[in-house]
Amino acid sequence: MNLIRSELMKIRTTNVWWLFGIGVLVFTALSVTLWIFAGNQLIDDASSNAVFQPPPPEFEMSPEQLAEAQRQFELQHDISRVLSGAAAQIYTSGQFFGLLFVSLLGVILVTNEYYHQTATATFLTTPQRTKVILAKLGTASLAALIFWVGTTAISGIAGSIFFSSKGYSSQLGEWPVTRAVLMNGLAYGLWGILGVGLGVLIRNQIGAVITVAAGYLLGTYVVQIAAFLASQLFKSDWVQKASVIWPSVASEAMVSTEPIFSNPPPWWVGALILIGWGLVLGLVGTLITRKRDIA
Amino acid sequence: MTLTEDGQIVVSGLTKHYGKVKAVDDLSFAVRSGRVTGFLGPNGAGKTTTLRMILNLVTPTSGTATIGGQRYSDFPHPVRQVGAILEASAAHKGRTGRNHLRIMCAAAGLPLSRADEALELVGLTPAAKRKFRGYSLGMRQRLGIASAMLGDPKALILDEPANGLDPEGIRWMRDLLRKFAGEGRTVLVSSHLLSEMELLADDIVIIANGKLVKQGPVETIVNGISQAERVRVRTPDADKLAQALAGKATVTQENGVLLVTGIGAPAVGEAALRAGVVLHELVEERPDLEQVFLELTAGKAGIR
Ligand SMILES: Nc1ncnc2c1ncn2[C@@H]1O[C@H](COP(=O)(O)OP(=O)(O)O)[C@@H](O)[C@H]1O
Ligand SMILES: [Mg+2]
Repeated sequence: MNLIRSELMKIRTTNVWWLFGIGVLVFTALSVTLWIFAGNQLIDDASSNAVFQPPPPEFEMSPEQLAEAQRQFELQHDISRVLSGAAAQIYTSGQFFGLLFVSLLGVILVTNEYYHQTATATFLTTPQRTKVILAKLGTASLAALIFWVGTTAISGIAGSIFFSSKGYSSQLGEWPVTRAVLMNGLAYGLWGILGVGLGVLIRNQIGAVITVAAGYLLGTYVVQIAAFLASQLFKSDWVQKASVIWPSVASEAMVSTEPIFSNPPPWWVGALILIGWGLVLGLVGTLITRKRDIA
Repeated sequence: MTLTEDGQIVVSGLTKHYGKVKAVDDLSFAVRSGRVTGFLGPNGAGKTTTLRMILNLVTPTSGTATIGGQRYSDFPHPVRQVGAILEASAAHKGRTGRNHLRIMCAAAGLPLSRADEALELVGLTPAAKRKFRGYSLGMRQRLGIASAMLGDPKALILDEPANGLDPEGIRWMRDLLRKFAGEGRTVLVSSHLLSEMELLADDIVIIANGKLVKQGPVETIVNGISQAERVRVRTPDADKLAQALAGKATVTQENGVLLVTGIGAPAVGEAALRAGVVLHELVEERPDLEQVFLELTAGKAGIR
């Protein structure tokens, strides 16, 4: 407990936390606005009185294609499904950048000790290194949860106003929506842990920050594109599903009420994979820290 | 356990290999409480590595180090047992000195008010709320001492604390350490300059190449070499005197000055009188610590 208090003071007594806090809030506000516009469009479409019109005969659709087109149409006009999908998106707004910032916070919590040569003071005060690293893991996820509360407050308020202005309930009571919000919190907490683990692995601060940011921003696209191409090549969507192994894809999967692929990995696969990453990186980080010479 | 054993530091068979480099090689020595012990050796001798091993920051290849009979990592509240100031140790540049200390207090379970008391003790109160980035070297050393004093420890371990201090700061540090030892605590201070230790240390431990060269009270070590005593003579007839002394002593000539080893000043004076040589200067030179130190570690200080 003393150690977590000490680690929280380390965050509070420097500029990072509020710089990151502002960054996360700005991105959240932007993405809430975007998702509200998109959701507005989808809800208007869904609530229109349109009925399915079979395409004219020149399209020459097979009966299966026709059935699929009708199924898609009905999904898009299933108002409760559209509502909860939009709500989950809105209430987890800003996740993409939020998770990046939170993991960078974890990275910095560790690499600062080497960059500013405070590791000596830290380990002199607490020679039981496992305790120190556990405190860092706990602190990073705690700080991450605070970020989650902040972003969820913004999107919660904006989203509730939006839904009530459309004459719907806030949707927060719907299980898939509640689940998405909770899973988003879990994702935040776990990304804090991933950050600490990565910070231990790459102790050079600039190197670690660049690696994490690039792995997160570029890596996500590279993995998704590679998985898509591979799935085309092997004519199997198994490969594409496998991209959920990548942590940022896994955290997207966790919060979606909707499949992000045609045949979706369920949300709990994403959650399990991310928990796995958290455990592995947390453990590796602890073991390395126990062994490492502080010179 | 008696009071004097309380903060005693015992290093036994301590060894650290970095690849092929034996930074510390089977080193054993003991540091008594109530005294200041100087830990001496040329640069690269292995002082920092040894101190870091005592403090559990570097894992020894073999051997042990204990403080008051316990390993550092076994102390439930190490800050209350040992205070340390080490090289390559600093505070976050964007953090105030006071916050740096408060963070340590929080981790050590000490009241946060100890931070202000420690700052007062080292005279850093006016700079307490300034960021570490703007601290001078002397202020950084003072902050280091404040952090070492936080837990009112029984032992102090300092790695080259005089580096970067001005003469006034060095005197201040010396007084502080003497006072600390006077209270019955243990003080272990490393340095690569013996002259710094002459005024400060009661005991010295000298290492070179990671190995122990000599340890003991300062006087014993200096007197142990007193046969190397020499006499300095200035005379207009240097050659004549050198001839007169030939066979009785070793004489070297250095821009008109004769350096005589093997006999004392009275014997040199008598020889001069018999040879009819006028003397302008006749001094018996006792070796100072620095000379002893250089002799002891000569040729062992090479880059490894
Ligand atoms: N982390 C390290 N990796 C490799 N070699 C090291 C490391 N730390 C110290 N050394 C080597 O060990 C020897 C002793 O270094 P050190 O303990 O710093 O000496 P001192 O403090 O007496 O100047 C030197 O040769 C140094 O180059
Ligand atoms: Mg050194």
